Amino acid sequence: MITTSSQSLQKPSTFTAADEMSPRIRRLKERLYVDRYPLSIEKSRWQTQAYKASDGEPQIIRRAKSLACVLDNIPIFIEDDELIVGQGSAKPMGLELDFYAGLWPRDEIEGLREAGYDISPQEETEILDMNAYWQKFNPLPRLGEDASEEMWGFLKSGMVLPPWKSRTDGPGGGYAESGLGLGPGFYLMTVDFEVALQQGLLALISDAEKRLTAIEYAEKDALERAHFLKAAILSLRAIIGFAERYADLAQTMAAVEADPARRAELEAIAQICRRVPAHPARTFREAMQSFWFIFLMITPSPTASMGRFDQFMNPYFEADLANGRLSEEEALELLQCLRIKDMQLNRTSGKAARQKNAGMAKWHNMVIGGVTKSGEDATNPLTYLILEAVRRLPTAHHTVTLRVHDGTPEPLMKKALEVVKMGTGMPAFIGDRSYIAYLLDQGVPLEEARNYAIGGCLDVTLPGKSRTAAVGMFIVSMVLEATLLNGVVRRTGDAVGLSTGKFEDFKTFDDFYAAFKAQLRHFLKLHADKNNAELLISRELFPDPVRSVLMDGGLAEGKALLDRTYLLENGALLNMVGMINVVDSLVAVKKLVFEDRVVSQAELIQALDANWQGREDLRRRFLEAPKYGNGDDYADQIAVDLFDYWADVAASLRSCLGGAHKPTGISVSSQWPGGAQTGATPDGRFAGECLADGTMSAMRGRDLKGPTGLMNSAMKISQNRYQAALFNIKFHPSAMQSDEDLRKISFLIRTYFARGGKHVQFNVVSREILLEAQKHPEQYRDLLVRVAGYSAYFIQLGKAMQDEIIGRTAHTGAG
Amino acid sequence: MNRSPTSLVDTVGAGAAAPAACADRGVAGSIFNIQRYSIHDGPGIRTTVFFKKCRLRCLWCQNPESQQEQPELFFNAEKCIGCGRCEKVCPEGAITLRDGRSWTDRARCTGAGACVEVCPQGARSLMGRVASVDDIFQEVSEDAIFYQESGGGVTLSGGDPLAQPEFALAILKRCKEAGYHTTLDTCGFASWHAVETIMPYVDLVLYDFKHMDPDKHKQYTGFSNEPILRNAKGIHHELKVPMRARYAVIPGYNDGVENATALADFIANELDRSIPVDLLPFHKYGGAKYQRLERVDELADTSPPSEAALTALRDIFLSRGLTAKVGG
Ligand code: SF4
Ligand code: SF4
Repeated sequence: MITTSSQSLQKPSTFTAADEMSPRIRRLKERLYVDRYPLSIEKSRWQTQAYKASDGEPQIIRRAKSLACVLDNIPIFIEDDELIVGQGSAKPMGLELDFYAGLWPRDEIEGLREAGYDISPQEETEILDMNAYWQKFNPLPRLGEDASEEMWGFLKSGMVLPPWKSRTDGPGGGYAESGLGLGPGFYLMTVDFEVALQQGLLALISDAEKRLTAIEYAEKDALERAHFLKAAILSLRAIIGFAERYADLAQTMAAVEADPARRAELEAIAQICRRVPAHPARTFREAMQSFWFIFLMITPSPTASMGRFDQFMNPYFEADLANGRLSEEEALELLQCLRIKDMQLNRTSGKAARQKNAGMAKWHNMVIGGVTKSGEDATNPLTYLILEAVRRLPTAHHTVTLRVHDGTPEPLMKKALEVVKMGTGMPAFIGDRSYIAYLLDQGVPLEEARNYAIGGCLDVTLPGKSRTAAVGMFIVSMVLEATLLNGVVRRTGDAVGLSTGKFEDFKTFDDFYAAFKAQLRHFLKLHADKNNAELLISRELFPDPVRSVLMDGGLAEGKALLDRTYLLENGALLNMVGMINVVDSLVAVKKLVFEDRVVSQAELIQALDANWQGREDLRRRFLEAPKYGNGDDYADQIAVDLFDYWADVAASLRSCLGGAHKPTGISVSSQWPGGAQTGATPDGRFAGECLADGTMSAMRGRDLKGPTGLMNSAMKISQNRYQAALFNIKFHPSAMQSDEDLRKISFLIRTYFARGGKHVQFNVVSREILLEAQKHPEQYRDLLVRVAGYSAYFIQLGKAMQDEIIGRTAHTGAG
Repeated sequence: MNRSPTSLVDTVGAGAAAPAACADRGVAGSIFNIQRYSIHDGPGIRTTVFFKKCRLRCLWCQNPESQQEQPELFFNAEKCIGCGRCEKVCPEGAITLRDGRSWTDRARCTGAGACVEVCPQGARSLMGRVASVDDIFQEVSEDAIFYQESGGGVTLSGGDPLAQPEFALAILKRCKEAGYHTTLDTCGFASWHAVETIMPYVDLVLYDFKHMDPDKHKQYTGFSNEPILRNAKGIHHELKVPMRARYAVIPGYNDGVENATALADFIANELDRSIPVDLLPFHKYGGAKYQRLERVDELADTSPPSEAALTALRDIFLSRGLTAKVGG
């Protein structure tokens, strides 16, 4: 049975649905939704100027000087109503082009225009000029031009998204914000916010200065360390200077502000920005402002983690509350201001990756709940308040993830599920058991393991103590195709794979299966080589002083983050997309071709080549073969075996930063472009059709036994070996109505996590999805309308009834 | 109380005799769905087994495909392209082609489903299948871990499980042996003997009250409510099985103040105030099912009750000191 901890029975939130957004938050929110976004090139101008001026100096110094130049000069502004200040762009809701995140050639800028961004022709010319300068920092030609023929064929195949078009330009579009793993942005790590909040940056600066004078030049790496420390001091000073610019601005604005209430607010902002992040934060508000300045400095990384926010912020909150300095409502307003601030950070991907990332590409993940280092329930009043802030302001960012352990209080689960009901898919739930088991397996001590946080959407991090390289999107279904075609990639026609024999010649399923595994190992090795090359190039081109300092022992170590070894070397990742389609395909081939022998090998190959045209009957058979996601051992055993195999292969492939590659399963939205690149597959999927979403989820419409049936399949897989394993479940709103309904979902989550589940996210079915289901009923066969004593699937309802339900169903998200 | 020493099917209503009870494990019966993660049919996370066959014929039935014991043909005219394949294979000659679609003579259709196999459009499907107790037990056991943690289990619903009493009994026994919580969703129209034999294996009864007036009950469902009310009392007082009362609120049929008051009084006085009442508002999800069965939906023009009406009805129960809520 599940125990709910009583030792930490926190006061469940007393807020009711009637509590609305304050007028301030409402106004701030309204300003988020603009028709067109401005592009801004302020940052790139100052970056370019600084780089040109520092030619010949060590890279890390150049990086620090460039940061300082940007922070000293970029236009700043404070918006009406803001309580937390600090913008990531010179323009409201602007997207700041940033050369660390890629080049911006003409077609990319054109693409941005189409996607709703504005840039003047004159600024466009300026950007193109700067591109020419930054070309020497473009890592793509380095990777592409040195690539072997085999590697080149692999890059071109798109098996790791997106496909490369040329050796010099990669996928095209100058890798703009691509998340290719190139450039400094995309490491998955959680900086040590506590140090910054508690000690203040001045303390770090004086520490760095002491260390700089104490350097022994007899050491081989002395110069490197000296450069690092100098860069650290430059960067930290620049951050303090940036806060002071805001203090000055607030003061100036206060002087001319007519409204006495706003004037007082601006004066308070000025005081706070003079204090933090230079000095330790003393109040919740100072801590919030200090946090935001630090967070701004580690963005535009789209994967910057907000760490275990409820843990390091709660002491400030509770102290203020006890002293009467702050009310719960005021804290709640500040938490909503933080959501607004994160929404203002405009992020996008380049064209090639935009679809991969579906919309605004950022994963600023705030982790709450879980256990403390000593294993107690870590829930505190702020945990509830953070959820309440999402409930009141259900914007898409920042993300919130709830760590669940055996002792997670039921009222917290209820609160979280009430937020899920709003339809934003937040919070995501993750299981402490599986995450901690993974970390222990990696040799992390228990106390540290219990302190894990999340970077990116689900990737495990240890605050201050781990680094994970960016997640590539590896399309597994293309490996299956290459196996069916004797090593040829269907999309390009290149023989990049092994010659494992013609499909028609395999005598047994086991032989065919072994061939698939050999191909998989071969392609994963190529992927690992690519990862390592990227890391080595990034290390040389883009050292990052700020994040390096903010990691545990950053100054003592005196090295940039890619030159260090951390407690958890979460290496480079091998991330699967479309694995479930491969599982279903192999299962169907095993059953129909090799066991029942109702279809010949040649017939199948022909049908796949023809995209099932004229062979609807055959497709139906393949669709009806056993499928993953129904708790059926026949299908699930192949899933279990392949996931283990993947983990084994990863463990055998070294990462250049130390340790081995790590297995993971995060599709984000790569199932779309990945599907577009894959021909028809033996699971009954058509060519180009989207692949299965997530990693533990079944292919759409192929799981017919509800959430428990799906979980029964997913729980068989050794998820503990995976650093992340995405699992989405959709629910019709009729399954989430009463408190009792929510309690049952809580049990569902707890059961899943008690038995090896790692993550689950609930998507309340929206109007859009139901409209889709009307159009493509075969993909939504599992959508159940849950009404007492009544049995029906949505797709079985009459059109009129469907329309009526659709009319009553909310749109996705609320903003 | 009526007693019959042999078959559990007797005395009340018609209905074909079920196969004589042999060894439980070999018993088979007719069902039309097994729904996992059922959350509105009893406590915790449950699996609901929907039985075929019911002796009542409520005009408002929302699972009309459950009423007959034999499998019934569902036909989706929207999908039919009139290709005629079904016509060729129907052994009864029940299918004709007209106006670009197929038509089935329901009087001749035996529900054997030869047409289902050949239809390229998936326009034809069969509702209902024969399943053994073993099959059912195996499927419901797949979610055993979810029952454990949530306090859930297995619900028999329908149709009316009491219309296939041997089958219901065998499933319930197996579930109790395995330690699952069992819920029976029934309209209570069965012999006392069947009720008395089955109830020891039931942890909770969801008991449907259609109408308190015997004549109206006969008019709307085909039978008087007399055995139903009698069984309810017996289940509560003699067998002492925990019960929840379910009142499907059907506008224009049983939503009058008088009927609700009579039901509230009956539960409060003849049964017990501790019995919670769930008011289940009429919904229109069943409409398409009538179309697919090619039957007339008598309530096609009836709309779901308003929130206000439901609240007013609920208050009648509250005023009698009962616990009542809207929704399962
Ligand atoms: S008792 Fe239930 S299943 Fe039977 S006819 Fe009436 S409503 Fe339908
Ligand atoms: S086989 Fe199907 S599509 Fe063809 S006429 Fe019969 S019902 Fe219509």
